[in-house]
Amino acid sequence: MPLNLSLEISVWKNFRFLCIFFALVFPLSAVAETKVDYKNWEDVTSAAKGGTVNWFMWGGADNINHYVSDYIGGELKKRYDITLKRIGINDTAEAVNIVLGEKQAGIDDKGSVDMIWINGGNFRTMKQGDLLFCGYHSLLPNNNLVNWQNPSIANDFGLAVDECEVPWNRAQFAFAYDSALTKNPPKSISELIDWVKKNPGEFTYPAATDFNGSVFIRHVFYHAAGGPDALLGDFDQEKFDVIAPKAWAILNEMKPYLWREGETYPNAIANLAQLFANREVALYFDYDPAIFGINVENGIFPETTRSYGLEDGTIGNTNYVAIPYNSPNKAAAMVAANFILSANAQYEKAKADVWGTAPAIDISRLPEEDKLRFLSLPRHPAVIDPAALSKKALPELHPDWISAIEKGWQENVAK
Amino acid sequence: MSNGTVTRQEDISHDGLSGPAWFALILLISWLVLPLIPLGIWSISRSWFFPDITPSAYSLRAWTYVFSTTSEVLPALGMTTFIALCATLLSAIIGLPAGRALGLYQFRGKAVIELLILAPTIVPGIAVALGLHVVFLNLGLAGSFSGVLIIHLIPTLPYMVLVMAGVFANYNPEIEAQARSLGAGPIQTFYYVTLPAILPGLLIGSLFTFLVSWSQYILTLLIGGGRVVTLPLLLFNFASAGRNDITGAISMIYILPGVVLLLLGARHLTGRNSATESLRQI
Repeated sequence: MPLNLSLEISVWKNFRFLCIFFALVFPLSAVAETKVDYKNWEDVTSAAKGGTVNWFMWGGADNINHYVSDYIGGELKKRYDITLKRIGINDTAEAVNIVLGEKQAGIDDKGSVDMIWINGGNFRTMKQGDLLFCGYHSLLPNNNLVNWQNPSIANDFGLAVDECEVPWNRAQFAFAYDSALTKNPPKSISELIDWVKKNPGEFTYPAATDFNGSVFIRHVFYHAAGGPDALLGDFDQEKFDVIAPKAWAILNEMKPYLWREGETYPNAIANLAQLFANREVALYFDYDPAIFGINVENGIFPETTRSYGLEDGTIGNTNYVAIPYNSPNKAAAMVAANFILSANAQYEKAKADVWGTAPAIDISRLPEEDKLRFLSLPRHPAVIDPAALSKKALPELHPDWISAIEKGWQENVAK
Repeated sequence: MSNGTVTRQEDISHDGLSGPAWFALILLISWLVLPLIPLGIWSISRSWFFPDITPSAYSLRAWTYVFSTTSEVLPALGMTTFIALCATLLSAIIGLPAGRALGLYQFRGKAVIELLILAPTIVPGIAVALGLHVVFLNLGLAGSFSGVLIIHLIPTLPYMVLVMAGVFANYNPEIEAQARSLGAGPIQTFYYVTLPAILPGLLIGSLFTFLVSWSQYILTLLIGGGRVVTLPLLLFNFASAGRNDITGAISMIYILPGVVLLLLGARHLTGRNSATESLRQI
């Protein structure tokens, strides 16, 4: 399975490259339509009535599928007469590639994708390729619940959102361990280095090609740079050349003490989860701490799983939904995007037995009773309190920095 | 005619299987069945940690999810079956005359045509599909059932054509002439003479075609654009997410047609077949 997976992923990576290549080589007269034709929210909802939203999203979690298909789908039907079609994919790039392919073929108004769960590099690809429908935030009533002053919401991995996507969840990196087996897990990157040496074979991280492996390597990078401040903004080769060797030195120092002596790295976070589940490694980490609770509930992780952030802070991000420029159901998609921001939808999603992910809206902007509802939510014991975690949140880097770090890791550590 | 068939089958059963044949059979069954056992157990397990031999907790959650409307597994099962059946039928309609031409006749450029037909099994399907994707988008076939069906013909046709070419290479068209001279029309000739003679080959070709279409992932994803949902797409969603329980449950459903077809087709996979045997005895 892991081999196939990496093959499929590399196929998709190559496909995207090909698509971008063709889109550049054979520019078709496709101009992204980013103009909003609706005057107010009533216009949008009446146009949306009876519409269908094809929402492309990662489909590998039954609880998320249930939440989206049953709860959101049910409510959209009931409230707005909108049919939600959830289309499960393995990799967000698949949806991006569909839109890219359609643009290349000159299909500018009858696209097949109405909404994508997206962030980071995929958002960059779409925004820079003029593949997104933008400029509709002022139409959405629930947009008021979003704190756009927060730079980690207004910027998606360092790239300004510019009204091209709507936040859905907040996620922040955290570590997990089995409290029955590990008493004192390392609470900072420097502690981790010592811990790994004392506990050979008990730790590993996915390769930089994996989303979560890449963010772990960025934590080491932040540590080597003495904090993220020096790395923010556009990519700077000189800064990179100073910091990178330190980061590679740390990772190479750890290497002989990793699982299988660092000869190989898991190629996907699911494989690290499996290693942790099988107690081959003692630590697990994930960009979305809700997954710890989900995995315990699914019987993948032991009941005694607990999680924590690092003393120096951990990297946080926001994930969004975006509407492609060629969606034929933009009004219905806007209604869906507005609905998922509502207090009700965000509350349902925050329940530990539904999903347990942190809300994208600013709770303090809600009426008193809604606010209390969120604050009194029971948390899964395996999931660290998002409020405590977010006190030490580190920003994400510009995608160019991320690509450079990922490439550098392949060349300097993986070999 | 029927007497001949019965005697022939009795002959075979009297032979029995030799020692090495038994060994091969057991080995084959182990290869087919053993990998399915963990999948089956996974589908009903709630937690199963290494190095435990059996799960520490059981649950029917994966099956509940698979049969819920949210999972869309049952509609996907229907869609996968329907696409595979249509692909098989179309492959047979195209592959039968093509196989006949290749098996029976010598003509200029035959080697080139054979190579072209073989090409999809040599050239990766993704390479062809990438180019076709744009064409399909322009034709409005992308994201549609017909688009997926047509793209499935790329990997399935070679199997059908090559099997049929092999069948027709050992086929004597003179028996058709005999039938025609005795007054049979073209349809009667095909139905009573040609079809019985090629039926075993046709069934094997169809079996291959069905299973090749059944297992398509990347072509369905690319051309179907997520809107034509087949079982491999759902299966891969959960396999890549590390959800062994749901993966196991979907796998159990996914292997069903293969097992059913194998059991149905097993009689014809022996290479001997009642139809040609009885024809010879006429």
